[in-house]
Amino acid sequence: MPMLTNILRKKPALGPGMWLFLGLFAVLILIIPHITGLTTTTLLSRIYILAIFGMSYDILRGYTGIINLGHALFFGGGTYIAGIMFSRMGATLDILLLAVLVSMVFAAIVAYIMGQFAFRGSGFTGVIACAMITLAFGEIGRHSAETLREYTQGADGLTFRVPLMFQDRVMMYYYALLFLIAMTLILRQFVNSPTGRVLQAIRDNDQRAKFLGYDTKKYKLIALVIAGMASAAAGIMFALLTRFANTELLTVQSTLNALLYTIVGGTGTLYGAIFGTAFVQLAQNYLLELRGIHEIFSRWLLFFGAIYVLVVLYMPKGLVGTYLQLEEKWRKRKIAA
Amino acid sequence: MNPLLKLDNVSSFIGPFHILQGVSLEVYPGEAVVILGRNGAGKTTTLRTIIGLVPASGGKIILDNVDLTAMPPYNTVRQGIGFVPEDYGIFDALTVEENLLIAMLQEDQETLDRRDHVLELFTDLKESYKRFASTLSGGQRQMLSIARALVNDNKIILIDEPSKGLAPIIVEKVRDTLLTFKQKKTIVLVEQNFEMACAVGDRFYIIAEGQTVLDGTMKELMDDEELQRKHLGFVTA
Repeated sequence: MPMLTNILRKKPALGPGMWLFLGLFAVLILIIPHITGLTTTTLLSRIYILAIFGMSYDILRGYTGIINLGHALFFGGGTYIAGIMFSRMGATLDILLLAVLVSMVFAAIVAYIMGQFAFRGSGFTGVIACAMITLAFGEIGRHSAETLREYTQGADGLTFRVPLMFQDRVMMYYYALLFLIAMTLILRQFVNSPTGRVLQAIRDNDQRAKFLGYDTKKYKLIALVIAGMASAAAGIMFALLTRFANTELLTVQSTLNALLYTIVGGTGTLYGAIFGTAFVQLAQNYLLELRGIHEIFSRWLLFFGAIYVLVVLYMPKGLVGTYLQLEEKWRKRKIAA
Repeated sequence: MNPLLKLDNVSSFIGPFHILQGVSLEVYPGEAVVILGRNGAGKTTTLRTIIGLVPASGGKIILDNVDLTAMPPYNTVRQGIGFVPEDYGIFDALTVEENLLIAMLQEDQETLDRRDHVLELFTDLKESYKRFASTLSGGQRQMLSIARALVNDNKIILIDEPSKGLAPIIVEKVRDTLLTFKQKKTIVLVEQNFEMACAVGDRFYIIAEGQTVLDGTMKELMDDEELQRKHLGFVTA
C-alpha cells in the first residue's frame, strides 16, 4: 500500500495511482450522506470535527512534547461562546462570525496566560508541572462554567438554535468535511514550517534547541496558542453540529478523549488523529449498539480503558505510526531481497 | 590585542555541587585553545557555563565586549557562539537537511552558501542529506554536529570531546576536519585525546577541581613530561 504511505507521509508524492485512489475516496466521502442514514451522517460529521480537536492536541503532545490536561478549555470554550452568543444575540451568520472572532481571541489570550505559567520549568519536572498547571486552568474553566449558570445552564446544559444554513444535517456534514480539510491543510502547513521544525526539535530535546539559539518557551507558547485556536474552532463547529453545550465538554475527561484520539491514531503524525477519532467514535458507537445483547456494553468506558492500555503497551506508535513503521520494514526487506 | 572570549573567575553550580570555583581564561581571535584536565575537573561544565546551559553564579564571561554572564543560552548563541556538545546534540527525528536548517539562524544567501560549503567539506552528509539523523553512524553524527556549528557565521566554536566514542579512523577524520576549519575559526576544544589536542591546539588551559591551574602553549606541554604527569596523569610516548 505505498499510496497510503505517501498520503500519510509529511510530503506526499502524488503519482497517477495516488490521484485515482484519492479521487475514488473523495467520491465515496461525498456520496456517503446520500447512501446512509442521518445517524451515520451525523456520526461522521462528529468524527470530522473531533479529529481537529485531536489534531490540535497532537500539535502539543506529538510535535512539541507538551502534556496539556486543560486542553478541553479551548474546545468547550469555543462551544460555549458560540452557544451563549446564539442564544443571547440570535442565531445568525453575523453572530457566528462574531463568535468565531471572540473564540479565537479567547483561545489566544487563555493559551498565552496558561503557557506563561505552565512553561516555566524544564526537563521531567517541567513536564509534570505543565500537566498540573494546565489541569488547574481546565478545572478553573469548568468550575467557572458551572458557577455562571445564568449563561451556561451549568451541568444541565445549554440548548440553542444555530443559523439556518447549519440546520440541515446533510449540509452540516459537508461543512464539517470542509472544516476538516481546511484545518488539516492549515495545521499540516504549520507542522512542516520552520516553526514546526523547531517544535519537533524541542520535543526531542529542549536543551539542544536552546543552544541552537531558540527561545523554547516562546515556541511552546506559539504551539499552545495555535493548538488552542484550532481546538476552539473545532468547538464552534461542534456547537453548530450538536446545538448543545454542557460542562462535560470542559472536563479533564474531554481532554483525555483528545489524548486518546492521538494515541490510538499515532502521536506526531497529525493525520493519526483522524484515524484515532474515527476508531474511538466508531468503537464507542458500536459498543453502545451492543447494549441490547448484554448490559456490560453500556459500560463502554471499561472497554476504552482496556483499548488505551493495549495500544500503549503493544502499539505505542498508534495506528498510523505502526503502519508507517511496518511499511518501512517491508520496504527495507524488499530492498535487501 | 583584546581577547575574543574572556572568562574571569567564573563559578557555577550543578544542583548543590559547586563545580566551577574560579575558571579564568582568554581566547584570542584565530587561535585554538584546548581545555585539558582529569575526568570531573569541570571542562565540560566550563563550556556549558559559557553557553549559559549552566548558569554562572559568579565571575564574568565576555565575548567580543558583550557580557554573556547572565544571558540565557538562546541569546548567547546568537552572539556568535557555535557549540558542538559531547553527545553531538543532533535531533534524531529530523533529517540531516532539517538538522542543518534548524541550526541556521538566518536563511539568507550567505548562510545558504556556507551550508553548501560545509556539505562540500562533509561529503558523507551530502550523501545522507535526506536521511533521518537516527540512521547516521557515530562519525557521521559528529560531522553533522560540527557542520551545524559552521553554518552560521560564528565568532567562536566550542567543541566538547569530539573524539569521544569514535573509532580511531573516524577520530583521524574528525581531526583533519578540525584542522581544516581551524584556519578560519577561533576554537575552544575540550579533549581527552592528547594526540588530537596537540594536533589542533595552539595553547592550553588545565582545569583541576573547577579552577584553571595552568596555561601555556601546546608545545610547552608536549615537551614537559613532568607537567603532563602532574596535571593529566600520563606521559606521551
